Amino acid sequence: MTQVRLADLTKIFDDDFAAVNDLSLDIESGTLTALLGPSGCGKTTTMKMIAGLLRPTAGDIYFNDNSILDIAPEKRGAVMVFQNYLLFPYMNVGDNIGFGLKMRRVDKREIRRRVAEMLELVQLPGIEKRKPSQLSGGQQQRVALARALIVEPNVLLLDEPLSNLDAHLRDEMRELVRSIQRELQITTIFVTHDQEEAVVLADEIALMFDGVLQQYAPPAEFFEAPSTVAIARFFGGLNFIPGTLENGAIHCPCGSFQAPKSGVKAGVSTLSIRPEAIQLGGRGHNDVEGVIRSHVYVGRYARFRIDIGEFQVEAVTEPSQVQHHQDGSTVTLHFPPEKIWVLPPEEEHKDEGNESAG
Amino acid sequence: MRFPSPQTDRGRQNLRIALLLTPAISLIILLFMGGLLMGFIRSLNYFPLIGLNEPNLEAYRLVFTDREFFASFLLTFHIAFTSTVIASILAVGAALLLRPTFRGKKIISFFFQMNLTFPHLVGAIGILFLFSQSGFLARILTNADVISRPSEFPALIYDRYAIGIILQYIWKEIPFIGVIVLAVLQSVGEDYEAVAQSLGANRWQRFRYVTLPLIMPGVLSASVIVFAFTFGAYEIPFLLGRSYPAALPVLAVRSYTDVDLAAKPQAMAMAMVIAVLATMMILAYMNLTRRYVRSS
Ligand SMILES: Nc1ncnc2c1ncn2[C@@H]1O[C@H](COP(=O)(O)OP(=O)(O)OP(=O)(O)O)[C@@H](O)[C@H]1O
Ligand SMILES: [Mg+2]
Repeated sequence: MTQVRLADLTKIFDDDFAAVNDLSLDIESGTLTALLGPSGCGKTTTMKMIAGLLRPTAGDIYFNDNSILDIAPEKRGAVMVFQNYLLFPYMNVGDNIGFGLKMRRVDKREIRRRVAEMLELVQLPGIEKRKPSQLSGGQQQRVALARALIVEPNVLLLDEPLSNLDAHLRDEMRELVRSIQRELQITTIFVTHDQEEAVVLADEIALMFDGVLQQYAPPAEFFEAPSTVAIARFFGGLNFIPGTLENGAIHCPCGSFQAPKSGVKAGVSTLSIRPEAIQLGGRGHNDVEGVIRSHVYVGRYARFRIDIGEFQVEAVTEPSQVQHHQDGSTVTLHFPPEKIWVLPPEEEHKDEGNESAG
Repeated sequence: MRFPSPQTDRGRQNLRIALLLTPAISLIILLFMGGLLMGFIRSLNYFPLIGLNEPNLEAYRLVFTDREFFASFLLTFHIAFTSTVIASILAVGAALLLRPTFRGKKIISFFFQMNLTFPHLVGAIGILFLFSQSGFLARILTNADVISRPSEFPALIYDRYAIGIILQYIWKEIPFIGVIVLAVLQSVGEDYEAVAQSLGANRWQRFRYVTLPLIMPGVLSASVIVFAFTFGAYEIPFLLGRSYPAALPVLAVRSYTDVDLAAKPQAMAMAMVIAVLATMMILAYMNLTRRYVRSS
């Protein structure tokens, strides 16, 4: 049971490049936390600092309220599984998995028993004698996981453990990681640049852009209450209309909308609504006129692009709606008040999350 | 217009490469195999030109009953083995020191590799100049009254244990093995060690169970080259060794240049024996290597 706290953690490379900037996180014992962000945002750097493989430039790391900065990496009990597995190529699978126990001078017979147990756990029983080079990517991945789990780490650090797997294997491994983590109750931090993976697996998500923590919350909040436009975009948000918030209503150039849910108090702000929340056809309030520009029929749903004055929104609807609305026709849209989320105004230079969204 | 199919194109390409390589390969085969064959025939006491028409094993009998030959063999093995082992260990140490980035690394690396370009002869002269009893160190120590006469300086040249020869080989071979080990270290990176550390391996364990097995194939193949070279090289033991027992290559050359023509078959037989022994030792060594790499 280990609770992890990062306090103003900073790592500066080459004297002036902050790979991780003032990162603070409070991670509950036994939870699975996703460190999410586009490539190069400092995820691996953060993990290496927790594991002790990199020394922070500033800030501190606490395990159960004790600073661990001066504890040697091999004594921290924080085991890191690397992005590219790194199984020792000159050892067979059994020796790879038993490595940590051998370093602790555990009895040989005991090691053999525990290795067999671990291989059961990762669903690869009986492959002790094989060489890493004879394994598929997914199998290597599971062996690397078993090699970490066998030492019963206090903190398990998984660096993009699933990124090199094909879609099918990835789903399987997600379940496996989740179930093992639940079973063993290990405080786990895993890195990913795939927001869907973070949402499916994590109890909490820490989203980072360019070394800076953007939001730290349970997955649902990133959809329902993102704190900036960039975050909303990273999570697939598409519809943003600038306006001014006043007394629970947001006034936009195209009209005013009741907006009881908001991340800002008042003033210049941005209306956001997810594509699936927009309804075609008016309700008499919170409505707005638009012109259908184009649509795509996907089968399970239909997707419309609609111009509202100078702005454009996307709506995802029942597939049958395609029959009722032609391109170029005028349509009344309804924005349900409880589905509107008001954000601070978008800053021009802060859209980098957009391109790299998974 | 017809295009050649890729397959015949490939075939033609291979043929061209083969043709281009033929002169070089035939030269090597001619020189090496031809030399070996001539030497072998000669070692059998067969030389029709001077009336030796009956091949026999007399030369080999002489070689194997010669006490100097065995003394020479032991000395040569001692020189090759000791210098290879010491050079390998020091080279691994040096490579580990030169591995991390630090200020002035470029310059130090340059000096480290510099003596790769010096001929062995230069090193031998340097060793003579520094370490002989009339050499630089002996004189400095005498002037500093550490020893009363230069001849009290320990005999490192022409000595029983071939210390001068071994020093010279170590000096020359450390950068050779070291550069290979450095290249291996560079290509495997530091992540394996990081994994091991994360799994609880301390500094010594990381070296023993991760770094060493990773560089071992490189060290072994570099050292086998060094061993073969030091076993068969002539100039250094000739310059820095005593004359009895002399190293095998020196012995072989000496019999070859003997004015007595009858000594020639013996020289050839000795060369054959050196070649066979060296080959056997290298095969045994490579076998060991392969087993080591497979088991660890
Ligand atoms: N040793 C180093 N020296 C200098 N810069 C570094 C070093 N390690 C990482 N960086 C830089 O720090 C930034 C963050 O790197 P990091 O590896 O943490 O990214 P990441 O979020 O893990 O990316 P990815 O998803 O691609 O793995 C990058 O811009 C990288 O170039
Ligand atoms: Mg990374």
